[in-house]
Amino acid sequence: MSNILYFMMQFITILLIAPLVNGIIGKVKALTQKRRGAPLLQMYFDLYKQCRKSAVVSETSSWIFKAAPYIVFSSAAAAALLVPATTLLAPEGFAGDIILMVYLLALGRFFMTLAGLDTGSTFGGMGSSREAMISSLMEPSILVSVFTLGLVAGTTSVFGIMHAMNRLAVPLAQPVFILIALSILIIIIAETSRIPVDDPATHLELTMVHEAMILEYSGRHLALMELGASIKQLVFITLLVNIFLPLDQFITLTGVAAIAVSLLLYLIKVVFVAVIIAIIEVGTVKFRFFSVPNLAALSFILAFIGFLQYFVLGR
Amino acid sequence: MDLFTAVNLLRCSILLFITSASLALILLKWHKLCNIVSNIICITASIFGISGSLIQLLAGGEKILIAAIKPAIPILSFDIVLDRLSAFFVLGLCVLVLCVSIYSIGYVSHYYGKRNVGLFNFLYSTFILSMFLVMTAGNAVFFFIAWEAMAVLSYYLVVFESEQVEKQRAGTLYIIMTHLGTALLMIAFMMMYSYTGSFDLAGSSAAIPASARNILFLLFLIGFGVKAGVIPVHIWLPYAHPAAPGNVSALMSGIMIKTAVYGLLRFVLVYLGVENTWWGVTILVVGMASAVLGVAYAFVEKNIKKLLAYSSIENIGIIFMGLGIAFIAFSQKNGTIGALALAASLFHTFNHTLFKGGLFLGAGSIHYSTHTINMEQLGGLIKKMPVTAVFMLGGALSISAIVPFNGFASEWLTLQSIFGSILPGNAALNILAILSVAALAIAGALAAATFVKLFGISFLGLGRTEQADHAKEVPAVMNVGTGVLIVLCLILGLFPMLFLKLTDKLVVELAGQSIIGQLKGPFLFAGYLEQATGNAISPFMIFVALIVVILGVLLVLRLVGGKYIERKYGTWDCGFEALNSRMQYTATGFSKPVEIVFRMLFRPSRELKVEGEHLYHPESMDYKVSTEPIFEKYIYAPVLQLVQAVSKKTKYAIQTGSVHRYLMYIFVAVLVLLLYNRIA
Repeated sequence: MSNILYFMMQFITILLIAPLVNGIIGKVKALTQKRRGAPLLQMYFDLYKQCRKSAVVSETSSWIFKAAPYIVFSSAAAAALLVPATTLLAPEGFAGDIILMVYLLALGRFFMTLAGLDTGSTFGGMGSSREAMISSLMEPSILVSVFTLGLVAGTTSVFGIMHAMNRLAVPLAQPVFILIALSILIIIIAETSRIPVDDPATHLELTMVHEAMILEYSGRHLALMELGASIKQLVFITLLVNIFLPLDQFITLTGVAAIAVSLLLYLIKVVFVAVIIAIIEVGTVKFRFFSVPNLAALSFILAFIGFLQYFVLGR
Repeated sequence: MDLFTAVNLLRCSILLFITSASLALILLKWHKLCNIVSNIICITASIFGISGSLIQLLAGGEKILIAAIKPAIPILSFDIVLDRLSAFFVLGLCVLVLCVSIYSIGYVSHYYGKRNVGLFNFLYSTFILSMFLVMTAGNAVFFFIAWEAMAVLSYYLVVFESEQVEKQRAGTLYIIMTHLGTALLMIAFMMMYSYTGSFDLAGSSAAIPASARNILFLLFLIGFGVKAGVIPVHIWLPYAHPAAPGNVSALMSGIMIKTAVYGLLRFVLVYLGVENTWWGVTILVVGMASAVLGVAYAFVEKNIKKLLAYSSIENIGIIFMGLGIAFIAFSQKNGTIGALALAASLFHTFNHTLFKGGLFLGAGSIHYSTHTINMEQLGGLIKKMPVTAVFMLGGALSISAIVPFNGFASEWLTLQSIFGSILPGNAALNILAILSVAALAIAGALAAATFVKLFGISFLGLGRTEQADHAKEVPAVMNVGTGVLIVLCLILGLFPMLFLKLTDKLVVELAGQSIIGQLKGPFLFAGYLEQATGNAISPFMIFVALIVVILGVLLVLRLVGGKYIERKYGTWDCGFEALNSRMQYTATGFSKPVEIVFRMLFRPSRELKVEGEHLYHPESMDYKVSTEPIFEKYIYAPVLQLVQAVSKKTKYAIQTGSVHRYLMYIFVAVLVLLLYNRIA
């Protein structure tokens, strides 16, 4: 029973907040460029409108094209269920495996890259091919950072890791966590198609990766793809904030009040990270595509040194 | 007396395989009849084999003697013995043979009236029988004979379409490489005999001194490694597996290379016993190299069967990684992790049999209806061959370790065993373990990319040639064979506990510990190792969650967005209005970014020839890209040159053509042997 309640609350929380993060990033970017920018809630309006529009489907495409948005969305949503927004929300001993989370996101990516190839468009293939490269290069650093966190906590359960972190007063005071947090920050940027890896704001064929794959989508399919992408972004941000900025242990309230306060804290933390991402986007230029491996290598090295620090030097 | 005992069932199975082989020769002239009869007998035989080995795995005692044949030679015996380890591999073999034989009823029909179908089916049945005997031989000499028969019979099958020069070359490379391994195995068996005085596999290895054990381990590793196709002794595999007919490549990649895993388990783990940590470390490093390099080569390949062959190298690498972790854990006396890693390794072995078998059968179907396996000439097949497409997609998802298919379950177990193996203390082993995580990660991600490419380029988009446009769905019986394998993949992925329960007694026998007892969760759900990780997943629940989310989304969309209205329109072409199939991304283009990033490994080169005066409007262009096969060029070619140079020099010194000199050689040899006997 508590599991089902958790799933409902978690699902609704993530679903409600995910588009907001895009809004915040867009707003911060606009403000730094002395523009007023789109309203914070713009993505909600877009999604609503897209849902009500009819869909244009390419004559070349097959059922894969139509199934992909649903699979992409549900894989992101399922991954989101494994990463509690607040540890107070999750039932005690909740089993959400962090390796499973990584592999669930791979399910969505698999179908998204297939959908890119399904329409027979050059852009789609280009996006899929680039996404395949970026994700292959990022995968080692994702698993190594996740593994190191798991080893520190003694479990691969997301909940268990967050719980273990809650017991530490300030995780970021230890070198291993600074290194892993930086590594995960790079992973977030690469996995959510942000500058300097990809530019979500343009449709320039020289640069686009994620946008190229979903170029042919319209209507509700597009809405699902975009919502899926923003949920995936929020999953990684949640992972980052709840592991490295745990604040739940300071809450002394009980019952509904505790959950409300911790959700508020969660929201503040997410906004904080969204602002950081926006500042990175404003402050850097997009890398040349073949410089992305350097970023992946940097992320891997950070995670690897973090592992070494904790397991080889630390003890 | 119960008729359906494991012994009787397996005896029936063996006899039926022999019947199938002989009937194939008798019915040589009636192609269709011969093929159908032979395959139906093989299907029956494999059903007997499946039930027999299942009984042995689940309920059987330590081991059963299926047949005992004692020839006049004293040290020899042709005992066919089935213990749990054998039963596990026989189960894999028979499941695969069942599906491949169903498939062959349709597939071999394109040989009717063109080739010797009787001979083909004879070779096919005896090849299966030889693998059966490799897995059940109770004596090293018998094992060796079966092993050799397996190599030779598979060679004949590889060169079955022998009029094509590249298939002959593939066969030659295969037979040379496999004999390199066989030679090392022969030395190993002779060492075994010289120390223990027995060829019996169930015998004790206590008499073998420690130094000889290390040598034996290396001999077994390289000897079996050649058959498994691990890097750097893999070079035959990407040529031989694609050269064979579709159903045979499924058998070769699905189960023949697993006989090497069986060999390593049988001779190193069971016979020698693992004592040294460096054994496990060596296997782990070899596994890592094979996994990463195998998939890297698979990704840039555009021939479907060659791609699948390279991917077999990758999967053997993952299996070896599990074995390595298990061996390290055994030598460190960490039985729990050893048991988990061993279970993961066995699980991946079985899974690879299922999905690689299915994928090779699918590749055979593509070849059957389009007569090509070059991805650059395919495209849009999902509309022409919808059923094959679904099964290929299932196979691709399984092999890419996508939730909820079986590849994920075994990779998750492997990762969990690595997780558990990282203990405070041994820094070097820990660094190795975390590097193996990274290797598994990049191999997994590249494998997904590889199979997106395989499926996306050949099944999606527009057909690139007429052959692809005129493709037709293959006969239903072929799809049944492929389908059963893929459905099994899904079942094992959803309910991995089924497999763990099945192999529990085997794991206990090999590792001394049961992992089922330590796994939490209700029946049919994947549990976890409580001590090691304290975490559980349930693929089935995840699958249910995915379905629920999709249904929920459909409902919400209906409520918010109203009825779904779809408009068909051409793909966006930037107003160019002449989009055609040649403007799609090609297989080569798809893998180009990775090729450039890892140019150290691939060493790509390109050649551009432009004819005509105008720079921007040339008359014709010729563009070639190629990668450099580094292993062949930098390891094998120099060795080959050396061998040829030495043999050229010695040819005239030793082999003069003079009979007198040859007689003298014989005389000297006899003399030396007599002297040796006298002294020893």
